Amino acid sequence: MELNKRNLLISLAYVVPALIFMLVLIGYPLFYNVKISFQHLDLMSLNNPDIAFAGLENYRKVIGLDSFHIAFKNTFFFTFWSIFLQFTIGFALALFFNMKFRLAGFLRGLTLVSYLVPIVITSLLFKFMFNQSVGIINYILLSIGFVDQPIEWLTHPELAMWSVIIANVWVGAPFNMMLLSTGLSSLPDDIYEAASIDGANKFKQFMYMTLPMLRPVIMIVIMMGFIFTFKVFDLIFVMTAGGPVNATEVLSTLAYKLSFDQFNFSQGAAASNILFLILFIVSLIYLRMVRSDEVM
Amino acid sequence: MGRSKELILSIVGIIIVGALLFPIYWMIVSSFKVQGEIFQMPPTLIPNDWYVEGYTSQLSGALGRSFINSLIVAISSMAIVVVLAIPASYGLARYPVPGKKWMILFFLVTQMLPVTVVLTPLFILFKKMALLNSLAAPILATATLGIPFSVLILRTYFLNAPKELEDAAMIDGCNRFTAFLRIMIPISYPGIIVSATFSFLFAWGDLIYSMTFISNSAMWPLTAGVYNSMGKYGIQWNNLLSFATITVLPVLAMFIVLQRYIISGLTNGAVK
Repeated sequence: MELNKRNLLISLAYVVPALIFMLVLIGYPLFYNVKISFQHLDLMSLNNPDIAFAGLENYRKVIGLDSFHIAFKNTFFFTFWSIFLQFTIGFALALFFNMKFRLAGFLRGLTLVSYLVPIVITSLLFKFMFNQSVGIINYILLSIGFVDQPIEWLTHPELAMWSVIIANVWVGAPFNMMLLSTGLSSLPDDIYEAASIDGANKFKQFMYMTLPMLRPVIMIVIMMGFIFTFKVFDLIFVMTAGGPVNATEVLSTLAYKLSFDQFNFSQGAAASNILFLILFIVSLIYLRMVRSDEVM
Repeated sequence: MGRSKELILSIVGIIIVGALLFPIYWMIVSSFKVQGEIFQMPPTLIPNDWYVEGYTSQLSGALGRSFINSLIVAISSMAIVVVLAIPASYGLARYPVPGKKWMILFFLVTQMLPVTVVLTPLFILFKKMALLNSLAAPILATATLGIPFSVLILRTYFLNAPKELEDAAMIDGCNRFTAFLRIMIPISYPGIIVSATFSFLFAWGDLIYSMTFISNSAMWPLTAGVYNSMGKYGIQWNNLLSFATITVLPVLAMFIVLQRYIISGLTNGAVK
Protein backbone atom coordinates (compact mmCIF):
# COMPACT_ATOMS: atom_id res chain seq x y z
CA MET A 1 0.00 0.00 0.00
CA GLU A 2 1.30 3.38 -0.90
CA LEU A 3 2.02 5.76 1.94
CA ASN A 4 0.15 8.93 1.09
CA LYS A 5 -0.81 11.47 3.70
CA ARG A 6 -4.29 10.05 4.23
CA ASN A 7 -3.06 6.51 4.69
CA LEU A 8 -0.39 7.72 7.06
CA LEU A 9 -2.97 9.37 9.31
CA ILE A 10 -5.27 6.36 9.21
CA SER A 11 -2.46 3.94 10.00
CA LEU A 12 -1.37 6.09 12.93
CA ALA A 13 -4.94 6.25 14.25
CA TYR A 14 -4.93 2.47 14.61
CA VAL A 15 -1.56 2.24 16.33
CA VAL A 16 -1.21 5.41 18.37
CA PRO A 17 -3.64 4.72 21.26
CA ALA A 18 -1.85 1.51 22.28
CA LEU A 19 1.51 3.14 21.69
CA ILE A 20 0.73 6.14 23.88
CA PHE A 21 -0.58 3.88 26.63
CA MET A 22 2.64 1.86 26.58
CA LEU A 23 4.90 4.89 26.27
CA VAL A 24 3.31 6.52 29.31
CA LEU A 25 3.22 3.42 31.50
CA ILE A 26 6.39 1.62 30.33
CA GLY A 27 8.48 3.96 28.19
CA TYR A 28 8.45 6.87 30.59
CA PRO A 29 9.08 4.69 33.69
CA LEU A 30 12.02 3.07 31.92
CA PHE A 31 13.51 6.48 31.17
CA TYR A 32 12.69 7.74 34.66
CA ASN A 33 14.38 4.74 36.24
CA VAL A 34 17.58 5.49 34.34
CA LYS A 35 17.31 9.12 35.39
CA ILE A 36 16.91 8.47 39.12
CA SER A 37 19.74 5.95 39.07
CA PHE A 38 22.01 8.95 38.41
CA GLN A 39 20.54 11.02 41.23
CA HIS A 40 20.05 10.75 44.98
CA LEU A 41 16.39 9.97 45.39
CA ASP A 42 15.09 8.72 48.72
CA LEU A 43 12.03 9.28 50.84
CA MET A 44 13.34 12.68 51.93
CA SER A 45 14.06 14.06 48.46
CA LEU A 46 10.96 12.52 46.85
CA ASN A 47 9.09 15.81 47.00
CA ASN A 48 12.17 17.93 46.47
CA PRO A 49 12.43 19.01 42.81
CA ASP A 50 16.13 19.87 42.95
CA ILE A 51 17.80 16.51 42.73
CA ALA A 52 21.52 16.69 42.06
CA PHE A 53 23.33 14.62 39.47
CA ALA A 54 25.22 11.83 41.17
CA GLY A 55 27.11 10.34 38.26
CA LEU A 56 27.87 6.67 38.62
CA GLU A 57 27.92 6.77 42.40
CA ASN A 58 24.77 4.66 42.86
CA TYR A 59 26.10 2.02 40.50
CA ARG A 60 29.43 1.97 42.30
CA LYS A 61 27.74 1.66 45.68
CA VAL A 62 25.37 -1.07 44.57
CA ILE A 63 28.10 -3.10 42.91
CA GLY A 64 30.15 -2.72 46.08
CA LEU A 65 27.41 -4.19 48.30
CA ASP A 66 28.04 -7.68 49.64
CA SER A 67 24.39 -8.45 49.07
CA PHE A 68 24.80 -7.52 45.41
CA HIS A 69 27.57 -10.06 44.94
CA ILE A 70 25.47 -12.71 46.59
CA ALA A 71 22.36 -11.78 44.61
CA PHE A 72 24.31 -11.75 41.36
CA LYS A 73 25.71 -15.21 42.01
CA ASN A 74 22.35 -16.52 43.23
CA THR A 75 20.53 -15.22 40.16
CA PHE A 76 22.87 -17.16 37.88
CA PHE A 77 22.75 -20.27 40.06
CA PHE A 78 18.94 -20.17 40.18
CA THR A 79 18.69 -19.54 36.44
CA PHE A 80 21.18 -22.23 35.43
CA TRP A 81 19.66 -25.02 37.51
CA SER A 82 16.07 -24.01 36.78
CA ILE A 83 16.69 -24.08 33.05
CA PHE A 84 18.75 -27.25 33.17
CA LEU A 85 16.09 -29.14 35.13
CA GLN A 86 13.00 -27.75 33.43
CA PHE A 87 14.52 -28.32 30.00
CA THR A 88 15.58 -31.89 30.76
CA ILE A 89 12.27 -32.81 32.37
CA GLY A 90 10.32 -30.93 29.71
CA PHE A 91 12.20 -32.71 26.94
CA ALA A 92 11.65 -36.12 28.53
CA LEU A 93 7.94 -35.39 28.84
CA ALA A 94 7.76 -34.11 25.26
CA LEU A 95 9.38 -37.31 23.97
CA PHE A 96 7.05 -39.43 26.08
CA PHE A 97 3.88 -37.67 24.94
CA ASN A 98 5.13 -37.67 21.37
CA MET A 99 4.51 -41.44 21.31
CA LYS A 100 1.17 -41.50 19.67
CA PHE A 101 -1.11 -43.19 22.23
CA ARG A 102 -4.71 -42.09 22.38
CA LEU A 103 -4.60 -40.09 25.64
CA ALA A 104 -1.30 -38.37 24.81
CA GLY A 105 -2.68 -35.05 23.61
CA PHE A 106 -5.20 -34.77 26.43
CA LEU A 107 -2.69 -35.60 29.18
CA ARG A 108 -0.05 -33.31 27.72
CA GLY A 109 -2.52 -30.42 27.75
CA LEU A 110 -3.43 -31.05 31.39
CA THR A 111 0.13 -30.58 32.62
CA LEU A 112 -0.02 -26.93 31.54
CA VAL A 113 -2.30 -26.15 34.48
CA SER A 114 0.79 -25.71 36.65
CA TYR A 115 2.02 -22.98 34.33
CA LEU A 116 -1.22 -21.02 34.65
CA VAL A 117 -1.63 -21.08 38.44
CA PRO A 118 -0.88 -17.58 39.81
CA ILE A 119 2.71 -17.56 41.06
CA VAL A 120 1.77 -16.44 44.56
CA ILE A 121 -0.40 -19.56 44.90
CA THR A 122 2.38 -21.80 43.58
CA SER A 123 4.71 -20.27 46.14
CA LEU A 124 2.21 -20.81 48.95
CA LEU A 125 1.65 -24.41 47.85
CA PHE A 126 5.35 -25.23 47.84
CA LYS A 127 5.81 -23.46 51.15
CA PHE A 128 3.10 -25.73 52.51
CA MET A 129 4.59 -28.88 51.00
CA PHE A 130 8.17 -28.02 52.04
CA ASN A 131 7.06 -27.05 55.55
CA GLN A 132 9.23 -28.78 58.13
CA SER A 133 6.43 -30.08 60.33
CA VAL A 134 3.27 -30.34 58.19
CA GLY A 135 4.91 -30.69 54.79
CA ILE A 136 4.13 -33.76 52.74
CA ILE A 137 7.59 -33.80 51.17
CA ASN A 138 9.27 -34.47 54.50
CA TYR A 139 6.63 -37.10 55.28
CA ILE A 140 7.38 -38.93 52.01
CA LEU A 141 11.15 -38.71 52.50
CA LEU A 142 10.86 -39.95 56.10
CA SER A 143 8.52 -42.80 55.27
CA ILE A 144 10.65 -44.20 52.45
CA GLY A 145 13.62 -43.96 54.81
CA PHE A 146 15.49 -41.47 52.66
CA VAL A 147 16.10 -39.28 55.71
CA ASP A 148 15.61 -39.91 59.41
CA GLN A 149 15.11 -36.31 60.53
CA PRO A 150 12.62 -33.84 59.02
CA ILE A 151 14.54 -31.53 56.68
CA GLU A 152 14.52 -27.76 57.22
CA TRP A 153 13.86 -26.99 53.57
CA LEU A 154 13.13 -23.29 53.72
CA THR A 155 15.26 -22.31 56.69
CA HIS A 156 18.49 -23.99 55.62
CA PRO A 157 20.45 -21.67 53.28
CA GLU A 158 21.38 -24.19 50.59
CA LEU A 159 18.14 -26.14 50.73
CA ALA A 160 16.08 -22.95 50.53
CA MET A 161 17.71 -22.26 47.18
CA TRP A 162 16.89 -25.76 45.96
CA SER A 163 13.32 -25.40 47.22
CA VAL A 164 12.69 -22.32 45.10
CA ILE A 165 14.40 -23.98 42.13
CA ILE A 166 12.13 -27.02 42.47
CA ALA A 167 9.02 -24.83 42.65
CA ASN A 168 10.19 -22.93 39.60
CA VAL A 169 10.83 -26.13 37.66
CA TRP A 170 7.27 -27.26 38.46
CA VAL A 171 6.04 -24.10 36.76
CA GLY A 172 8.44 -24.14 33.83
CA ALA A 173 8.81 -27.79 32.82
CA PRO A 174 5.33 -28.16 31.22
CA PHE A 175 5.87 -24.96 29.26
CA ASN A 176 9.21 -26.25 27.97
CA MET A 177 7.49 -29.52 27.12
CA MET A 178 4.78 -27.74 25.12
CA LEU A 179 7.26 -25.82 22.97
CA LEU A 180 9.46 -28.88 22.44
CA SER A 181 6.38 -30.97 21.58
CA THR A 182 5.41 -28.49 18.90
CA GLY A 183 8.93 -28.77 17.53
CA LEU A 184 8.89 -32.58 17.65
CA SER A 185 5.57 -32.83 15.86
CA SER A 186 6.90 -30.76 12.99
CA LEU A 187 9.72 -33.26 12.26
CA PRO A 188 9.04 -35.40 9.17
CA ASP A 189 8.15 -39.03 9.93
CA ASP A 190 9.56 -40.55 6.76
CA ILE A 191 13.22 -39.93 7.57
CA TYR A 192 12.78 -41.87 10.83
CA GLU A 193 11.35 -44.77 8.86
CA ALA A 194 14.29 -44.60 6.48
CA ALA A 195 16.69 -44.52 9.43
CA SER A 196 15.11 -47.60 11.06
CA ILE A 197 15.35 -49.47 7.78
CA ASP A 198 19.02 -48.53 7.65
CA GLY A 199 19.44 -50.00 11.12
CA ALA A 200 19.78 -46.86 13.27
CA ASN A 201 18.43 -47.59 16.77
CA LYS A 202 16.27 -45.17 18.76
CA PHE A 203 19.20 -43.71 20.65
CA LYS A 204 21.14 -43.01 17.46
CA GLN A 205 18.04 -41.54 15.84
CA PHE A 206 17.67 -39.22 18.81
CA MET A 207 21.32 -38.15 18.87
CA TYR A 208 21.91 -37.77 15.15
CA MET A 209 18.47 -36.78 13.86
CA THR A 210 16.12 -35.42 16.50
CA LEU A 211 18.61 -33.21 18.35
CA PRO A 212 20.19 -31.58 15.27
CA MET A 213 16.81 -30.97 13.62
CA LEU A 214 15.35 -29.50 16.82
CA ARG A 215 18.33 -27.22 17.35
CA PRO A 216 16.50 -23.97 16.49
CA VAL A 217 13.59 -24.82 18.81
CA ILE A 218 15.96 -25.87 21.59
CA MET A 219 17.83 -22.57 21.32
CA ILE A 220 14.56 -20.62 21.53
CA VAL A 221 13.36 -22.59 24.56
CA ILE A 222 16.64 -22.05 26.41
CA MET A 223 16.91 -18.36 25.57
CA MET A 224 13.29 -17.71 26.56
CA GLY A 225 13.86 -19.74 29.69
CA PHE A 226 16.83 -17.55 30.52
CA ILE A 227 14.89 -14.32 30.03
CA PHE A 228 11.93 -15.38 32.14
CA THR A 229 13.96 -17.12 34.84
CA PHE A 230 16.61 -14.45 35.23
CA LYS A 231 14.00 -11.83 36.12
CA VAL A 232 12.26 -14.08 38.68
CA PHE A 233 10.60 -12.06 41.40
CA ASP A 234 7.23 -13.20 42.80
CA LEU A 235 8.20 -16.79 43.42
CA ILE A 236 11.22 -15.99 45.57
CA PHE A 237 9.64 -12.95 47.14
CA VAL A 238 6.72 -15.01 48.44
CA MET A 239 8.51 -18.27 49.24
CA THR A 240 11.59 -17.00 51.06
CA ALA A 241 11.72 -13.20 50.60
CA GLY A 242 15.37 -13.71 49.70
CA GLY A 243 16.16 -15.47 52.97
CA PRO A 244 17.27 -17.12 55.15
CA VAL A 245 19.59 -14.10 55.54
CA ASN A 246 20.28 -13.65 51.81
CA ALA A 247 20.66 -17.23 50.71
CA THR A 248 18.01 -16.87 48.00
CA GLU A 249 18.39 -13.16 47.30
CA VAL A 250 18.31 -12.47 43.56
CA LEU A 251 18.82 -9.21 41.67
CA SER A 252 15.10 -8.40 41.44
CA THR A 253 14.38 -9.00 45.12
CA LEU A 254 17.47 -6.99 46.05
CA ALA A 255 16.32 -4.09 43.86
CA TYR A 256 12.88 -4.27 45.46
CA LYS A 257 14.34 -4.21 48.96
CA LEU A 258 16.59 -1.25 48.21
CA SER A 259 13.63 0.72 46.87
CA PHE A 260 10.73 -0.33 49.06
CA ASP A 261 12.30 -1.46 52.35
CA GLN A 262 15.18 0.99 52.57
CA PHE A 263 13.49 3.64 50.38
CA ASN A 264 16.78 4.20 48.61
CA PHE A 265 15.08 4.63 45.24
CA SER A 266 18.26 5.55 43.39
CA GLN A 267 20.20 2.48 44.43
CA GLY A 268 17.15 0.31 43.77
CA ALA A 269 16.95 1.83 40.30
CA ALA A 270 20.64 1.18 39.70
CA ALA A 271 20.27 -2.45 40.74
CA SER A 272 17.24 -3.04 38.54
CA ASN A 273 18.94 -1.31 35.60
CA ILE A 274 21.86 -3.70 35.89
CA LEU A 275 19.37 -6.57 35.81
CA PHE A 276 17.62 -5.00 32.83
CA LEU A 277 20.86 -4.45 30.94
CA ILE A 278 21.76 -8.14 31.18
CA LEU A 279 18.26 -9.12 30.05
CA PHE A 280 18.29 -6.59 27.24
CA ILE A 281 21.51 -7.95 25.76
CA VAL A 282 20.23 -11.51 25.93
CA SER A 283 16.87 -10.41 24.47
CA LEU A 284 18.56 -8.79 21.48
CA ILE A 285 20.53 -11.95 20.79
CA TYR A 286 17.31 -13.92 21.09
CA LEU A 287 15.40 -11.60 18.75
CA ARG A 288 18.16 -11.79 16.21
CA MET A 289 17.88 -15.59 16.31
CA VAL A 290 14.08 -15.74 16.00
CA ARG A 291 13.32 -12.84 13.79
CA SER A 292 15.86 -13.21 11.02
CA ASP A 293 13.10 -14.25 8.64
CA GLU A 294 10.40 -11.81 9.73
CA VAL A 295 10.24 -8.06 10.26
CA MET A 296 13.49 -7.55 12.11
CA MET B 1 0.58 -49.61 18.12
CA GLY B 2 -0.25 -52.79 20.01
CA ARG B 3 -3.10 -52.86 22.51
CA SER B 4 -0.91 -53.64 25.50
CA LYS B 5 1.63 -50.99 24.62
CA GLU B 6 -1.15 -48.44 24.29
CA LEU B 7 -2.45 -49.46 27.72
CA ILE B 8 0.98 -49.26 29.38
CA LEU B 9 1.69 -45.84 27.89
CA SER B 10 -1.71 -44.57 29.00
CA ILE B 11 -1.15 -45.77 32.56
CA VAL B 12 2.34 -44.28 32.72
CA GLY B 13 0.97 -41.04 31.27
CA ILE B 14 -1.78 -40.85 33.87
CA ILE B 15 0.74 -41.47 36.67
CA ILE B 16 3.00 -38.69 35.36
CA VAL B 17 0.17 -36.19 35.08
CA GLY B 18 -1.19 -37.24 38.47
CA ALA B 19 2.20 -36.61 40.07
CA LEU B 20 2.58 -33.24 38.34
CA LEU B 21 -0.86 -32.05 39.36
CA PHE B 22 -0.71 -33.51 42.86
CA PRO B 23 0.14 -30.14 44.48
CA ILE B 24 -3.15 -28.71 43.24
CA TYR B 25 -5.09 -31.70 44.55
CA TRP B 26 -3.23 -31.37 47.84
CA MET B 27 -4.15 -27.70 48.12
CA ILE B 28 -7.84 -28.42 47.57
CA VAL B 29 -8.16 -31.35 50.01
CA SER B 30 -6.08 -29.64 52.67
CA SER B 31 -8.37 -26.62 52.51
CA PHE B 32 -11.20 -28.93 53.67
CA LYS B 33 -9.30 -30.38 56.64
CA VAL B 34 -9.52 -29.22 60.23
CA GLN B 35 -6.26 -27.81 61.52
CA GLY B 36 -5.56 -30.94 63.58
CA GLU B 37 -5.87 -33.19 60.56
CA ILE B 38 -3.41 -31.08 58.59
CA PHE B 39 -0.81 -31.77 61.28
CA GLN B 40 -1.69 -35.46 61.45
CA MET B 41 0.95 -37.99 60.36
CA PRO B 42 0.48 -39.99 58.21
CA PRO B 43 -1.46 -37.39 56.24
CA THR B 44 -4.91 -38.29 54.91
CA LEU B 45 -5.57 -38.20 51.17
CA ILE B 46 -9.25 -37.43 51.77
CA PRO B 47 -10.41 -35.38 54.78
CA ASN B 48 -11.90 -37.41 57.67
CA ASP B 49 -14.02 -34.47 58.79
CA TRP B 50 -14.98 -32.05 56.09
CA TYR B 51 -14.19 -28.53 57.24
CA VAL B 52 -15.97 -25.90 55.14
CA GLU B 53 -15.60 -22.88 57.39
CA GLY B 54 -12.45 -21.86 55.54
CA TYR B 55 -14.88 -20.99 52.77
CA THR B 56 -18.13 -20.09 54.53
CA SER B 57 -16.68 -17.87 57.22
CA GLN B 58 -14.35 -16.03 54.86
CA LEU B 59 -16.61 -15.60 51.84
CA SER B 60 -18.67 -12.92 53.51
CA GLY B 61 -15.51 -11.11 54.58
CA ALA B 62 -12.04 -10.64 53.12
CA LEU B 63 -12.25 -13.55 50.69
CA GLY B 64 -15.48 -12.41 49.03
CA ARG B 65 -14.36 -8.80 48.81
CA SER B 66 -10.99 -9.77 47.35
CA PHE B 67 -12.70 -11.99 44.81
CA ILE B 68 -14.75 -9.05 43.56
CA ASN B 69 -11.63 -6.84 43.46
CA SER B 70 -9.77 -9.48 41.45
CA LEU B 71 -12.66 -9.73 39.00
CA ILE B 72 -12.81 -5.96 38.56
CA VAL B 73 -9.05 -5.72 38.01
CA ALA B 74 -8.86 -8.67 35.60
CA ILE B 75 -11.93 -7.76 33.53
CA SER B 76 -11.05 -4.06 33.26
CA SER B 77 -7.46 -4.82 32.36
CA MET B 78 -8.64 -7.30 29.74
CA ALA B 79 -11.04 -4.74 28.28
CA ILE B 80 -8.31 -2.10 27.97
CA VAL B 81 -5.99 -4.61 26.32
CA VAL B 82 -8.56 -5.79 23.79
CA VAL B 83 -9.69 -2.28 22.86
CA LEU B 84 -6.14 -1.00 22.37
CA ALA B 85 -4.40 -4.08 20.99
CA ILE B 86 -6.86 -5.07 18.24
CA PRO B 87 -6.55 -1.86 16.21
CA ALA B 88 -2.82 -1.56 16.93
CA SER B 89 -2.08 -5.08 15.71
CA TYR B 90 -4.27 -4.56 12.64
CA GLY B 91 -2.50 -1.30 11.84
CA LEU B 92 0.91 -2.95 12.21
CA ALA B 93 -0.18 -5.87 10.01
CA ARG B 94 -1.89 -3.96 7.21
CA TYR B 95 -0.34 -0.50 6.94
CA PRO B 96 3.22 0.61 6.28
CA VAL B 97 3.26 2.58 9.54
CA PRO B 98 6.38 4.73 9.84
CA GLY B 99 8.73 3.37 12.49
CA LYS B 100 6.94 0.01 12.44
CA LYS B 101 10.13 -1.93 13.08
CA TRP B 102 10.85 0.11 16.21
CA MET B 103 7.33 -0.20 17.51
CA ILE B 104 7.44 -3.97 17.20
CA LEU B 105 10.84 -4.02 18.89
CA PHE B 106 9.44 -1.85 21.69
CA PHE B 107 6.53 -4.25 22.25
CA LEU B 108 8.90 -7.23 22.22
CA VAL B 109 11.29 -5.68 24.72
CA THR B 110 8.53 -4.65 27.13
CA GLN B 111 7.60 -8.31 27.43
CA MET B 112 11.07 -9.05 28.72
CA LEU B 113 11.27 -6.22 31.25
CA PRO B 114 11.89 -7.15 34.86
CA VAL B 115 9.03 -5.75 36.91
CA THR B 116 11.31 -3.89 39.34
CA VAL B 117 12.47 -1.55 36.55
CA VAL B 118 9.07 0.11 36.25
CA LEU B 119 7.83 -0.36 39.79
CA THR B 120 9.28 2.76 41.46
CA PRO B 121 8.53 5.10 38.53
CA LEU B 122 4.96 3.79 38.30
CA PHE B 123 4.56 4.21 42.04
CA ILE B 124 5.63 7.86 41.76
CA LEU B 125 3.53 8.40 38.62
CA PHE B 126 0.40 6.94 40.21
CA LYS B 127 1.05 8.97 43.33
CA LYS B 128 1.06 12.16 41.24
CA MET B 129 -2.10 11.05 39.45
CA ALA B 130 -3.74 10.22 42.82
CA LEU B 131 -4.28 6.63 41.70
CA LEU B 132 -2.55 4.91 44.62
CA ASN B 133 -4.95 2.89 46.74
CA SER B 134 -7.40 2.54 43.88
CA LEU B 135 -8.02 -0.46 41.64
CA ALA B 136 -7.12 1.75 38.67
CA ALA B 137 -3.43 1.40 39.57
CA PRO B 138 -3.18 -2.40 39.14
CA ILE B 139 -5.63 -2.25 36.20
CA LEU B 140 -3.40 0.14 34.25
CA ALA B 141 -0.19 -1.58 35.30
CA THR B 142 -1.33 -5.11 34.38
CA ALA B 143 -2.68 -3.90 31.02
CA THR B 144 0.94 -3.20 30.10
CA LEU B 145 1.56 -6.95 30.37
CA GLY B 146 -1.34 -7.86 28.10
CA ILE B 147 -0.88 -5.23 25.39
CA PRO B 148 2.52 -6.26 23.98
CA PHE B 149 1.59 -9.94 24.15
CA SER B 150 -1.72 -9.29 22.37
CA VAL B 151 -0.37 -6.92 19.74
CA LEU B 152 2.27 -9.43 18.69
CA ILE B 153 -0.09 -12.43 18.74
CA LEU B 154 -2.95 -10.66 16.93
CA ARG B 155 -0.65 -9.20 14.34
CA THR B 156 0.18 -12.68 13.08
CA TYR B 157 -3.55 -13.46 12.85
CA PHE B 158 -4.19 -10.32 10.80
CA LEU B 159 -1.14 -11.01 8.64
CA ASN B 160 -2.50 -14.45 7.85
CA ALA B 161 -6.12 -13.37 7.30
CA PRO B 162 -7.03 -13.45 3.60
CA LYS B 163 -6.76 -9.97 2.17
CA GLU B 164 -9.25 -10.86 -0.59
CA LEU B 165 -12.11 -10.92 1.92
CA GLU B 166 -11.34 -7.36 2.91
CA ASP B 167 -11.11 -6.26 -0.71
CA ALA B 168 -14.43 -7.95 -1.49
CA ALA B 169 -16.07 -6.16 1.43
CA MET B 170 -14.77 -2.85 0.15
CA ILE B 171 -16.20 -3.52 -3.31
CA ASP B 172 -19.51 -4.25 -1.58
CA GLY B 173 -19.52 -0.78 -0.09
CA CYS B 174 -17.55 -1.07 3.14
CA ASN B 175 -14.74 1.36 3.71
CA ARG B 176 -11.52 0.08 5.16
CA PHE B 177 -12.60 0.76 8.71
CA THR B 178 -15.99 -0.95 8.46
CA ALA B 179 -14.31 -3.82 6.63
CA PHE B 180 -11.97 -4.07 9.62
CA LEU B 181 -14.90 -4.07 12.05
CA ARG B 182 -17.23 -6.40 10.16
CA ILE B 183 -14.85 -8.76 8.40
CA MET B 184 -11.37 -8.77 9.94
CA ILE B 185 -12.34 -8.81 13.63
CA PRO B 186 -14.85 -11.68 13.25
CA ILE B 187 -12.51 -13.88 11.24
CA SER B 188 -9.66 -13.28 13.68
CA TYR B 189 -11.73 -14.22 16.72
CA PRO B 190 -9.51 -17.13 17.81
CA GLY B 191 -6.64 -14.67 18.18
CA ILE B 192 -8.86 -12.27 20.06
CA ILE B 193 -9.90 -15.04 22.47
CA VAL B 194 -6.24 -15.91 23.05
CA SER B 195 -5.41 -12.29 23.73
CA ALA B 196 -8.39 -11.72 26.03
CA THR B 197 -7.70 -14.95 27.97
CA PHE B 198 -4.06 -14.14 28.58
CA SER B 199 -4.76 -10.52 29.50
CA PHE B 200 -7.27 -11.77 32.05
CA LEU B 201 -4.79 -14.32 33.44
CA PHE B 202 -1.92 -11.81 33.63
CA ALA B 203 -4.08 -9.43 35.64
CA TRP B 204 -5.65 -12.18 37.75
CA GLY B 205 -2.21 -13.50 38.75
CA ASP B 206 -0.65 -10.12 39.50
CA LEU B 207 0.71 -9.71 43.00
CA ILE B 208 3.48 -7.15 42.91
CA TYR B 209 1.56 -4.23 41.39
CA SER B 210 -1.45 -4.62 43.67
CA MET B 211 0.75 -5.12 46.69
CA THR B 212 2.90 -2.07 45.95
CA PHE B 213 0.18 0.34 44.87
CA ILE B 214 -2.55 -0.61 47.33
CA SER B 215 -2.10 -0.49 51.08
CA ASN B 216 -5.79 -0.53 51.97
CA SER B 217 -6.72 -4.16 52.61
CA ALA B 218 -10.33 -3.62 51.49
CA MET B 219 -9.02 -2.97 47.96
CA TRP B 220 -6.74 -6.01 47.73
CA PRO B 221 -7.30 -8.61 45.03
CA LEU B 222 -7.08 -12.30 45.98
CA THR B 223 -3.33 -12.55 45.33
CA ALA B 224 -2.48 -9.68 47.67
CA GLY B 225 -4.96 -11.05 50.21
CA VAL B 226 -3.29 -14.47 50.14
CA TYR B 227 0.16 -12.94 50.40
CA ASN B 228 -0.73 -10.81 53.39
CA SER B 229 -2.59 -13.64 55.13
CA MET B 230 0.56 -15.75 54.91
CA GLY B 231 2.25 -13.51 57.40
CA LYS B 232 -0.81 -12.78 59.46
CA TYR B 233 -2.32 -16.20 59.99
CA GLY B 234 1.08 -17.83 60.21
CA ILE B 235 0.02 -21.41 60.29
CA GLN B 236 -3.75 -21.39 59.74
CA TRP B 237 -3.17 -23.51 56.70
CA ASN B 238 -6.76 -24.57 56.01
CA ASN B 239 -8.10 -21.01 55.78
CA LEU B 240 -5.12 -19.91 53.75
CA LEU B 241 -5.51 -22.83 51.35
CA SER B 242 -9.21 -22.14 50.85
CA PHE B 243 -8.22 -18.61 49.89
CA ALA B 244 -5.72 -20.12 47.46
CA THR B 245 -8.27 -22.59 46.07
CA ILE B 246 -10.73 -19.78 45.33
CA THR B 247 -7.92 -17.92 43.54
CA VAL B 248 -7.12 -20.94 41.37
CA LEU B 249 -10.68 -22.02 40.53
CA PRO B 250 -11.39 -19.41 37.83
CA VAL B 251 -8.04 -20.28 36.24
CA LEU B 252 -8.96 -23.98 36.20
CA ALA B 253 -12.40 -23.16 34.77
CA MET B 254 -10.89 -21.04 32.03
CA PHE B 255 -8.37 -23.75 31.28
CA ILE B 256 -11.09 -26.37 30.85
CA VAL B 257 -13.20 -24.18 28.55
CA LEU B 258 -10.42 -22.45 26.61
CA GLN B 259 -7.66 -25.07 26.60
CA ARG B 260 -7.25 -25.00 22.81
CA TYR B 261 -6.76 -21.23 22.75
CA ILE B 262 -4.45 -21.23 25.77
CA ILE B 263 -2.13 -23.81 24.22
CA SER B 264 -2.03 -21.95 20.93
CA GLY B 265 -1.32 -18.70 22.78
CA LEU B 266 1.56 -20.25 24.70
CA THR B 267 3.23 -21.80 21.67
CA ASN B 268 2.64 -18.89 19.26
CA GLY B 269 3.41 -16.24 21.84
CA ALA B 270 6.75 -17.86 22.47
CA VAL B 271 8.03 -18.58 19.04
CA LYS B 272 6.54 -15.79 16.98
